[in-house]
Amino acid sequence: MTIAQDALQLPHLNYGALAPMLILFGAAAVGVLIEAFVPRRSRYALQLVLGLGALVAALIVVITESGTRELTAGAAIALDGPALFLQGSLAALGIVALLLIAERTLEPGGPFVAAAAVTAGTEEDRTQAAREDAGTEVYPLLLFALGGMMLFVSANDLLTMFVALEVFSLPLYLMCGLARRRRLLSQESAMKYFLLGSFASAFFLFGIAMLYGFSGQISFAGIHSAIQTSTQSTTLLYIGLALVALGLLFKAAAAPFHVWIPDVYQGAPTPITAFMSACTKVAAFGALIRVLYVAFQGTDWDFRPVIGAIAVLTMLVGSILSVTQTDIKRLLAYSSIANAGYILVGVLGLSKDGLSSTLFYLVTYGFTVIAAFGVVTLVRDADGEATHLSRWAGLGRRSPLYAGLFTFLMLAFAGIPLTSGFTGKFAVFAAAIGGGQSWLVVFGVVSSMILAFPYLRVVVMMWLSEPGESTPTVSIPGALTSATLAIGGLATLVLGVVPAPLLDLTNHAAQFIR
Amino acid sequence: MSHSILAAAAGQMGTGEKVFFWIFGPLALIGAIGMVWARNAVHSALFLVLTMLSLGVFYVLQAGPFIGMVQIIVYTGAIMMLFLFVLMLVGRDSSDALIETLRGQRTAAILIGLGFAGLVCTAIARAMGSVSAKGLDAANQANGGNVQGIAALLFTKYVFAFEVTSALLITAAVGAMILAHVERRRENRLSQVDLMKARFAPGNYPGPKPGPGVYATSDSVATPALLPDGTFADRSVSKILPTRELSGAESAPKGTER
Amino acid sequence: MKYLAQDPTLANFGHDVWWLVLIKVVAVFALLLVLTLFTIMYERKVVARMAVRPGPNQVGPNGWLQSLMDGMKLPFKEEIIPITADKVVYFLAPVIAGTCAFITFAVIPFGPMVSIFGHRTPLQLTDVPVAVLVILAATSMSVYGIVLSGWASGSTYPLLGGLRSSAQMISYEVAMGLSIVAVFMTAGTMSTSGIVHAQAGGAQANWDIFGWHPQAPSWYAIVTLPSFVIYAISAVGETNRAPFDLPEAESELVGGYLTEYSSFKFAMFYLAEYIAMINVSAVGATLFLGGWRVPWPLSLIDHGVLNHSWFGLIWFLGKVLIFLFGFIWLRATLPRLRYDQFMRLGWKVLLPANLVWILILAGIKTTQRTPTGNTRWFVIAGVVVVALIAVFLWPEKKGPEAPSTEQLEEQLAQLPEGSFPLPPLDLQVPPSPRLQRLTGQREPATVGGGTDEKEN
Repeated sequence: MTIAQDALQLPHLNYGALAPMLILFGAAAVGVLIEAFVPRRSRYALQLVLGLGALVAALIVVITESGTRELTAGAAIALDGPALFLQGSLAALGIVALLLIAERTLEPGGPFVAAAAVTAGTEEDRTQAAREDAGTEVYPLLLFALGGMMLFVSANDLLTMFVALEVFSLPLYLMCGLARRRRLLSQESAMKYFLLGSFASAFFLFGIAMLYGFSGQISFAGIHSAIQTSTQSTTLLYIGLALVALGLLFKAAAAPFHVWIPDVYQGAPTPITAFMSACTKVAAFGALIRVLYVAFQGTDWDFRPVIGAIAVLTMLVGSILSVTQTDIKRLLAYSSIANAGYILVGVLGLSKDGLSSTLFYLVTYGFTVIAAFGVVTLVRDADGEATHLSRWAGLGRRSPLYAGLFTFLMLAFAGIPLTSGFTGKFAVFAAAIGGGQSWLVVFGVVSSMILAFPYLRVVVMMWLSEPGESTPTVSIPGALTSATLAIGGLATLVLGVVPAPLLDLTNHAAQFIR
Repeated sequence: MSHSILAAAAGQMGTGEKVFFWIFGPLALIGAIGMVWARNAVHSALFLVLTMLSLGVFYVLQAGPFIGMVQIIVYTGAIMMLFLFVLMLVGRDSSDALIETLRGQRTAAILIGLGFAGLVCTAIARAMGSVSAKGLDAANQANGGNVQGIAALLFTKYVFAFEVTSALLITAAVGAMILAHVERRRENRLSQVDLMKARFAPGNYPGPKPGPGVYATSDSVATPALLPDGTFADRSVSKILPTRELSGAESAPKGTER
Repeated sequence: MKYLAQDPTLANFGHDVWWLVLIKVVAVFALLLVLTLFTIMYERKVVARMAVRPGPNQVGPNGWLQSLMDGMKLPFKEEIIPITADKVVYFLAPVIAGTCAFITFAVIPFGPMVSIFGHRTPLQLTDVPVAVLVILAATSMSVYGIVLSGWASGSTYPLLGGLRSSAQMISYEVAMGLSIVAVFMTAGTMSTSGIVHAQAGGAQANWDIFGWHPQAPSWYAIVTLPSFVIYAISAVGETNRAPFDLPEAESELVGGYLTEYSSFKFAMFYLAEYIAMINVSAVGATLFLGGWRVPWPLSLIDHGVLNHSWFGLIWFLGKVLIFLFGFIWLRATLPRLRYDQFMRLGWKVLLPANLVWILILAGIKTTQRTPTGNTRWFVIAGVVVVALIAVFLWPEKKGPEAPSTEQLEEQLAQLPEGSFPLPPLDLQVPPSPRLQRLTGQREPATVGGGTDEKEN
């Protein structure tokens, strides 16, 4: 035995700062135990309390640790301003999404299938669809996903980042396939997401190998210093950068890698779609800005035009294709693609302003989109949610309150002043101009104008059409969905009227450490 | 730990290493191409096994015996075996559908795939000129061995990533349970008493079913047995078997009369 | 004179001249073939003795050449290949099975450093830092032989047999691999010669009972007893031997995966199966029974003179034969398990037990390294108390209550018309007249010759 066992020292772990992740992973593990040992009828309440408790605790810990700026766990994890801010916003958005996921009054048993293993469309499936119980595995999965996302935005080397990517992707793939209604569509979306996501992960991993070949390191600081000092051919660096960026842009839903978004957003259970569109975006862009700002700072002249082109393509594809959509979930999916383009514009500011505006945009967009999908869950008929746009005609007459809320959210997406959408867009465009990227802003404004059209079309359809025979009713939401809608709507309004506190916070947080 | 074969000297290959590389390199390539080209899914899987085995040998050659062996045990021994398991359950005759759902998709995929491969390969080939290979010798010496070196990294620098991997495994296990395990509900579960009642209920014959007919001309399971009055016993043939008449050749005596 | 068996280290390997390597390869190959022929006879003789019959006794002295004759006959039999077979894979399967079976012995140590034609060399073909993983890799590859033979035969029973065996071998490989983990943890190495060296024993414990430093037992079969038990069970499962021989359960699957094989290919499978048995025995002897080291009381003779050079071969082969006897004994004694019971044993008993044991072992190792003695005892006491409380508080399973006569009658009354006839509940079965006659005729036994005990 030649190894000196005592010579191996566990690196210093700042447990206080790691606590949000540890709380979420621990709670998720407890949730799995609950699934295994607690009788079925008491699982729902326990899981809900556990999940909410863990997320609130994580949020509180993030707030108390907000002054931390250090590398911990052997420099594998960077807990700096952006990481803590993103972790906090993930916890907050996670709470809101969890409320939406846990809603059970809209349909018996809630939006999740009781036994996903039962073949869709069989006799057994029909009997279980009528029953009032539902699987509760989604709660621990949600906590695992959120824990992985928190690690993803704070990872300080590519290996940890890859592990985190897998940790949060796998639960997402699963949750997409658990819809109670339209199960085949849901399973198809999960399959598509899984396959394409695996490819993206493989590219990411390949890119890590290339970067390691270039620099001999996988830590961001190591890659950064290798870029400054290495005399090697930079070909490996560029291949690596391209492949790693590909993996991240896939999760962020940027244009050539966006094809999975509409199908998955449409097929997944709507609360999960809300969760994905808010939190996955936060995680993906959090990791992307860390990679670009920390590891590749020295090569910004090389990647800026390429990622700029991707941003333009993303904005145009998202906005133009959303014009042709007839399904509200697909419309929101394409709008989320376009929004990924706007965030990329902010990222390409490549400055402190760029960073802070990106952080700000991610939070505002997250709250708005969760509320929007929350309204989508309310519009239902006997077959579940009525998502075809023609069914929404005249909804304003039937239910002015929720139609009004949805109109407000649509206006926020369109970037009308006094909504958070306006302040967010203003921030990212200003940062891009500050970074000398005016051409991106031109495309951004053009695509915003295109994108306003489908939003306003929905609004017009809701208010100015007569309700038809097939116009569904708007269900009365339970307390949980009401809370989601209230929080989302209020955040959209408040961040549009008084954005200064959050902007200050993001400005304060916008400093990476290496 | 100074094996002549295992040691990858800095910047140059030993003779043994070269020989093994030029044996297993083409094999790996053949496996990869064969995996895509093979029509039969099981052959495809076997070609992939060949590639993975060759990769494992490469790792061992490059002074990483632990990762090489783990590659063989985990990938070829467990994962590909599960693949084969599923393929065998699906059936040997099922081949992939040859109808293209998107026109020109296959051609486009081949062209783009070749283009991507060409791009990456030429770029790497160009870049490799300036790369000075280090080998694993120094890393293996640092902690007294390859296995010990990996252990040291896992439990110091990457300890958090290593621990978080457990979350991945739990998720995978939970996912497998969700997607594959149908929990039998208590009301659907039949107790032994219920089963016995159903067995002796009117309309059900509690004894074993008669076996299929065994005749000089045919002893197939699809041949029904005869009742004493000469009629066929319906219960003697499984319901899932297709009923068919024997062909002339089948019902003819098989040369056993001599 | 003091004989000290010189343990080879990893540095001793890889320096042999080419003809020495060739000799070793041929010797190992020949040894495996001879051992296989011997094991077949060993099995038949032992099973026969247990069934109180002579066994094969015609060919050669006392019948011991029977397996050789069978082996020579097999390749000359007619070879039948089903027309539905996938020819290439059908040919490949026995090749894989045979090849993988031979790999394991390349890293099995037979003895210490010996002198062969003037060269000092270890009595072992080769060793690598990950030798035990090489063994596991070889066993995992050998599954392919079985699975592919089942699939390529193009027939139903072999396919089912192949599926069964792949599931079975993968399941039990997991248990087996985990049971070896405890050995790695204790020995601190994965090389087989290193593990044998680590079982040299003689180390005095660093703890004491009233000043007495007991000699720690050296065999891992004792030090890591749960691992050894699990290894032994999973070894039987891994080699598809009775009572776990489900892939070839003849009452269900005719002959299992090799139903459609004949002639030389069949011989390859047969060979592979017996070599697999010898392999797991050799690995078990190496990892748990001290390898080529002489067993305990004998090891005291003259400071371990019996460990010296070629003696090792004797002890090693002896341990392998003892292991093999266990296999044969099981086969002669136990009936086959049902498949679901068998898988449940593997996944729900062996695997969790193994994990818990590794956890406990890791805990022990950690406490051993902490300097303070008292906390260690407190921790151990705490664990024991918690375990006891858990055992006491474990809920007992309540069986269903037996229905009363009224309930039964009510149920009977509810039976629909045309149900299967049931006997009345108060049916008194009259004693059989034949039984009566027997009891009447039997004379009371006279015990001890006493007459005053006679009462009936």
